[in-house]
Amino acid sequence: MNVKVGDEIPSWDMPSVLPERMRTMAAILRDPNPVHWDRRVVAKMGFGEHTINQGPLGLSYMVNMLHDWTGPESIRRIQMRFPMAVLDGDHIVARGRVTAIREANGERLADCDIWLEREGTEPPLEGSATVKLPD
Amino acid sequence: MSRPLPPVEDIRALVGHRFPGGHYTIAHWENFLLTECTGSEPLPGDIAHPVALFHVPILGAGTSIGEMFALGQADSDASIGIESYDWEFFQPLREEHPYRIDAEITEADRREENGRMFDRIAFRFDLEDADGKPAARTTITWHYNRGKR
Repeated sequence: MNVKVGDEIPSWDMPSVLPERMRTMAAILRDPNPVHWDRRVVAKMGFGEHTINQGPLGLSYMVNMLHDWTGPESIRRIQMRFPMAVLDGDHIVARGRVTAIREANGERLADCDIWLEREGTEPPLEGSATVKLPD
Repeated sequence: MSRPLPPVEDIRALVGHRFPGGHYTIAHWENFLLTECTGSEPLPGDIAHPVALFHVPILGAGTSIGEMFALGQADSDASIGIESYDWEFFQPLREEHPYRIDAEITEADRREENGRMFDRIAFRFDLEDADGKPAARTTITWHYNRGKR
């Protein structure tokens, strides 16, 4: 795989964040936080009639982008910050850019900046990832 | 109605708190639904979606999101904010493989930024496979918001 610093990772698109998936996720995670399934609670917080996506779900869109790029066993590390909430109905695009290529433990690795893009706001999630590049 | 502000000494005393620890096996149905929630097709073979590295360590360590909220004396479930995750994978997580999980609180302190007070608590989880080899490590850092004080 020919990769160089500055390369853009092919983006991954989530056309609309679905509230039903947040509910399923809440059950799997045993997550009691009502912001993921009760719009009335979220409205009182000033976010309008929405539910708030779980942090891991937002992160998963970037995982899916990386999987499509370098394969399902390639991720070595993800460091993520969560400056803004992702809401149901949001159109989210996962994006990334290569910041370094290096070797470690016999593997050729790519360090990347990764983030979620939402029209009209700063990136709601942003961080970095390290992936093993395919031979 | 907000709860009284917990003494900062109580929050700082959480550092070093260890959870019971234990084992967790990701079931096929669980991975299927989890992966579907992410908008991805099922991954090949028995590979679990990496997003499992959120709930598997928590439940496998013998705790829960609810208990983690309670340990930090959260004002309410909705008062928790995420600061960051740091996820390291030493091998892919797999379905139907038992993982040993150990966990502790590594940081806990009070902060104030822009007139907003919160307690910042970091939880670290270590996963080993059935052969005792490191599988993953994750650090979750949450803010327990205390409102404007």
